[in-house]
Amino acid sequence: MNDRTRREFLAGTAVAGGAMALNSVAQPAPSDPPLAMSIARWKGAPVADEGLGKMATKLTEEVIAALGGMGRFVSKGNTVWVKPNMAWDRTPEQAANTNPDVVGTLVRLCFEAGAKTVRVGDNTCHKSTVSYPNSGIEAAAKAAGAEVVYLDKRRFRKMDLKGKVLQNWPVYPQMIESDVIINVPIVKHHSISTVTLCMKNLMGTAGGNRGTFHQDIGASLSDISAFVKPQLNVLDAIRILTAHGPQGGNMSDVKRMDTVAASTDIVALDAFGASLLGHVPDAIATVKAGYERGLGQMDYTKIPHREIEVA
Amino acid sequence: MRRPRSWAQWLRRFTQAAFLLIFFALLLGMRSKEGRELSPFVNLFFDLDPLVLLATWLATHTLSGLSLLALITVAASLLLGRVFCGWVCPLGTVHHAVSWLGTRRRKAKTQLADGAWSPWQRTKYLLLLAFLVMAIFGIHWIGMLDPFSLLYRSTVTAVLPAAQYAIEDSTTAVYQADPRLGPLRATTVTEPIYEFFRDHVFKTSRQTFAGSTVIFLFFVAIVLLNLVRKRFWCRYLCPLGALLGLCSKRPVMRLKNDTAKCTNCKRCVLTCPAGAQPDAPGEWRATECYACWNCVAACKENALGFAFESPLRKPTKAQLDLKRRAVLASGFAGLGGLLGLRLTPKAQATKFNPALIRPPGARPEREFLQRCIQCGACMKVCPTNALQPTSFEAGLEGIWTPILVPRIGYCEYECNLCGRVCPTEAIRPLPIEEKHKVKLGLARFDTTRCLPHAYARECLICEEHCPVPTKAIYFVEKEVPLRDGGTRVVKQPHVDPELCIGCGICESVCVFKDRPAVRVSSAGESRHTGNQPILPTPPDFGNYGGNNTPETGNADPYG
Repeated sequence: MNDRTRREFLAGTAVAGGAMALNSVAQPAPSDPPLAMSIARWKGAPVADEGLGKMATKLTEEVIAALGGMGRFVSKGNTVWVKPNMAWDRTPEQAANTNPDVVGTLVRLCFEAGAKTVRVGDNTCHKSTVSYPNSGIEAAAKAAGAEVVYLDKRRFRKMDLKGKVLQNWPVYPQMIESDVIINVPIVKHHSISTVTLCMKNLMGTAGGNRGTFHQDIGASLSDISAFVKPQLNVLDAIRILTAHGPQGGNMSDVKRMDTVAASTDIVALDAFGASLLGHVPDAIATVKAGYERGLGQMDYTKIPHREIEVA
Repeated sequence: MRRPRSWAQWLRRFTQAAFLLIFFALLLGMRSKEGRELSPFVNLFFDLDPLVLLATWLATHTLSGLSLLALITVAASLLLGRVFCGWVCPLGTVHHAVSWLGTRRRKAKTQLADGAWSPWQRTKYLLLLAFLVMAIFGIHWIGMLDPFSLLYRSTVTAVLPAAQYAIEDSTTAVYQADPRLGPLRATTVTEPIYEFFRDHVFKTSRQTFAGSTVIFLFFVAIVLLNLVRKRFWCRYLCPLGALLGLCSKRPVMRLKNDTAKCTNCKRCVLTCPAGAQPDAPGEWRATECYACWNCVAACKENALGFAFESPLRKPTKAQLDLKRRAVLASGFAGLGGLLGLRLTPKAQATKFNPALIRPPGARPEREFLQRCIQCGACMKVCPTNALQPTSFEAGLEGIWTPILVPRIGYCEYECNLCGRVCPTEAIRPLPIEEKHKVKLGLARFDTTRCLPHAYARECLICEEHCPVPTKAIYFVEKEVPLRDGGTRVVKQPHVDPELCIGCGICESVCVFKDRPAVRVSSAGESRHTGNQPILPTPPDFGNYGGNNTPETGNADPYG
């Protein structure tokens, strides 16, 4: 990564950010180690559902800018895989899939950072032919110039994940072999893992009889997260699903949080996501297992981070 | 043999090719697209089919709007004869092409026999009659032989999957082996082929159908019969051809043989695929002729031509002359067939088959069978391949009608496409809000297999996938004993019978792939009150913790 660019960028943001109501807890000086996490919360006038696209775009732009811009993760000529949750045949309002505008914005930022190809795809639960279009992500990603990939069953390949429970497991090579993987889940309730966030979203890189992961969700997801190692995780908490996850369907289970967070630390970001659903990180098997595996920190306030308010 | 050119013959070939292409384009377009859009012409050929119209009307005494398009076909036949068979019918075109390919090198003598009229051509009228008698008494077997139904079913369940299998698996074999010669790789050729078919032709993942081999063999057999006689199917068997033949007894457009010019060379008979006797003046059979123009084009003397004549004039001597005895016999055969099919307990509908899970919106069984023409449109459009042709789950009477097989696929919660493509409304086109309430059956756990019940392991894949907004599968945390004397708390799933819609996704995703630990049966299906074992809980009477309003709970969309 190009360090100079990042510093220049941070300096630029600091000046421009004067107008912004910055509420930073641990705001680093430019000489500090790069931020590991940023959280952008909407503090402007309340936005109706129709205006959510603009807000999602703004939050995503700001949260990435706070981390040092997309150029920190994506270099010129890179091939990027953006991995949203687009597993369910549900509409964006039902909060079962990642917000399409968050995904679209990330694709655009990748191209602006010089990416050659940006692919978007997921190993879905419902048929991809229905969940891709109905999630709204296909259209948003295509509009931003991404190649939307319908995973090809015959292209899964068994790889040595060197995990504790997952050794030789089929994964999607085109995804794994991308230069950069950006993991973009949505915050949802889930009966087995209590919450489904970044680590759980990486199940969408695997094939095979994935249902067996549920028998030891912590170890399985630590294995797959340690193997995939996304360079960047972006957590969509604009709408969150508080019950009857992971596919929902009841509008009363959907809650607006108007927040987007991003981190290089998958465990810390999941811990933050769990708190949005009212859980302490300790109670979440995947967060605990990920921390014990050394994949990240359980307390995001202990890592260099910034919380910003966007209006 | 050189033939003079005939623009009409070429126009006919072009028209046939166009309709065949339209047929396949509509068939391939019958899939789950963005927003679940469907072409308004998706059922064009079934709507144009007067046989479907007539048989459905006889069986149900109802008519549906667009099917009245079939009257266009009837009108065309009344005026022009069986032009529909010769110019439009896609199955006729398949037969026409195969007949030509298969017999063009044969000796003139053989071809002469091919082209001659045979009294056996009356068979199709007797078949038609027998099937219509069955339809009057509510057995809709006409779909077995209706040409569109037959071609559609065969293409959807056998020909298309076979083609897709061939293309996908051959290119996959190359992709995986990746043979190369220096910088040349075989995949640079095979991958674009694969991608072209994937992205522009099939546009959906491969479907497979239980028992499709029988459907395939039936189709191959009727295609091979063209080598016995040209367009064998159309001449001897097709019930739609027979119906249109009956409409064509006195067409306005008739074949004229100018006896002054005719040298009786029989070239016209050599090319006739219908056995319509174009050679003998006054013997031309209007009910058999497809107006394909082959004879006109073949005639070197210009003795043959179609001309318009008043329908009041009796056309020819050669009328249908169906024997009264044969007609009566076929009527009784229809009755006999009906009784034979109804002899089984299944057909008496006093007991219910647990495997007979019908698509969402399917009418009660008897009414369903009165309408379903076994065309396979619902199976083609089903995004999960869940709809499969029956073998004998619905008795012989219901062979090749659709059932949901959750081990193969599940009913997509937000999808109502099967009802929207059904040409006879055997599956009703339900608005999605109404479809959400339809129960196809009921799931039950096999606690001797289910992991948290039987093996003290966490799982809940079924609960994760349950699409009912408040989840028809709930779990109870239970402390279970372990081998070492200790205990473990696991989440054991249970079914809320009031919320379960029997969509089958739980069975479909269960980690047990041989015999799933949660299985759906037809019990509780909305379409049969007699098959509903659960007394619904009144909404204010306490419930299982779910949000059981009458709307989401036990509402019966059939009233």
